[in-house]
Amino acid sequence: MTALPPPSAKKLGLVIDLDTCVGCHACVVSCKEWNSQSPLGAPLADLDAYGAAPEGTFLNRVHSFEVTREAGPPVVVHFPKSCLHCEDAPCVTVCPTGASYKRAEDGIVLVNEDICIGCGLCAWACPYGAREMDGAERVMKKCTLCVDRIYNETLPEPDRVPACVKSCPAGARHFGDLGDEDSAVSRLVAEREGFALMPDQGTKPVNRYLPPRPRDALPEFDVLAPYLEPVTEGAGGFLGWLDRTLGKI
Amino acid sequence: MPEGDFPLHALTQRPMAMYHSWGSQNAWLRQIHGVNPLFVSGEIWAEHGFAEGDWAILTSAHGEIRVPVARMDALNGKTVWTWNAIGKRKGAWALSPEAPEANRGFLLNHLIHELLPPRGDGLRWANSDPVTGQAAWYDLRVRIRKAPPGGPDHAEPDFAPIASPVPPAPGTVRHGGRTS
Repeated sequence: MTALPPPSAKKLGLVIDLDTCVGCHACVVSCKEWNSQSPLGAPLADLDAYGAAPEGTFLNRVHSFEVTREAGPPVVVHFPKSCLHCEDAPCVTVCPTGASYKRAEDGIVLVNEDICIGCGLCAWACPYGAREMDGAERVMKKCTLCVDRIYNETLPEPDRVPACVKSCPAGARHFGDLGDEDSAVSRLVAEREGFALMPDQGTKPVNRYLPPRPRDALPEFDVLAPYLEPVTEGAGGFLGWLDRTLGKI
Repeated sequence: MPEGDFPLHALTQRPMAMYHSWGSQNAWLRQIHGVNPLFVSGEIWAEHGFAEGDWAILTSAHGEIRVPVARMDALNGKTVWTWNAIGKRKGAWALSPEAPEANRGFLLNHLIHELLPPRGDGLRWANSDPVTGQAAWYDLRVRIRKAPPGGPDHAEPDFAPIASPVPPAPGTVRHGGRTS
């Protein structure tokens, strides 16, 4: 079994905004692209890739839910899920070889694939289902927080964030030090009442989620309707002619 | 067109994953969106007594398709929609003939004629925007009914496979990374 390091001051993690995530999967695809080419480990395989039941390894997935509510119209919520880099990571303590470990300096949870025996105990221990056994390599794969990007001095500085954060077109993913109360991510969590996922599991996840904002309610009457009434007989001049001509075909 | 005959609007949306990815129809994207039911509003679902696993016949002025349905409440009551570009003809894209895209997947294209109905002037006008020439997808009106039980487990129309211009696809893909 593998020991956890003493709690680190630095706690690197993600803050994911469930209000602005549109479920486009850009983070899913860019994560797989980056991590398949990483020298840190084997590529993320796809079995039966073009067949009846393809099954591949992903370090980050988006689950979409439809929520029907008592008051207000139903809403769709997209929920991206990856490793939460827990402070009390059960996936580490369960590992029989020391392959699964948590870094003392920044709290990132990683797998040393060279000594992973593919027993799968860590995936069983993780209450979030955030680890996936690679079907071809038979080693455990998980989010590395793009440790080979965030400290990578060969990349331009703005690119030294996880691939999922870099690629998100909605700005719904944020990366930073959640151990520092004054960091941008910590302030965002405080401001938006960010929450930890399933805290009752006692794993002390580092990542935080920002809840969807309340939706606008429909007013009792439509304030814009009077402005939608036709106000002219129609356009005149060239535009009027064009409109009438196009209307005929 | 009388609204009573075709009371519903049918829409498609191209999956966002296809816009944001490096590749196109590849081994990854088909795991994200590999099947496309016809999403039916709760109102239509209740009106027609649909149940999970049902199939529906969707009819427009131009044609008819038989497709799997799924309930979606976060949807305008008079609208049905599906993901575009998931359905594939068997043999296309080097997919296995058993691929869900080639069986349960479908397109709305069969419901849309490229020409507008005749207007008696001897001319046929393109069913497209008069200025841009873009296909007028959002004009599609349809009606829906529950498909009779006992039909095949694939969408219709169902065409014979086409010959693939490329060799059969590999079983396991290990994109990038260290070669083994």
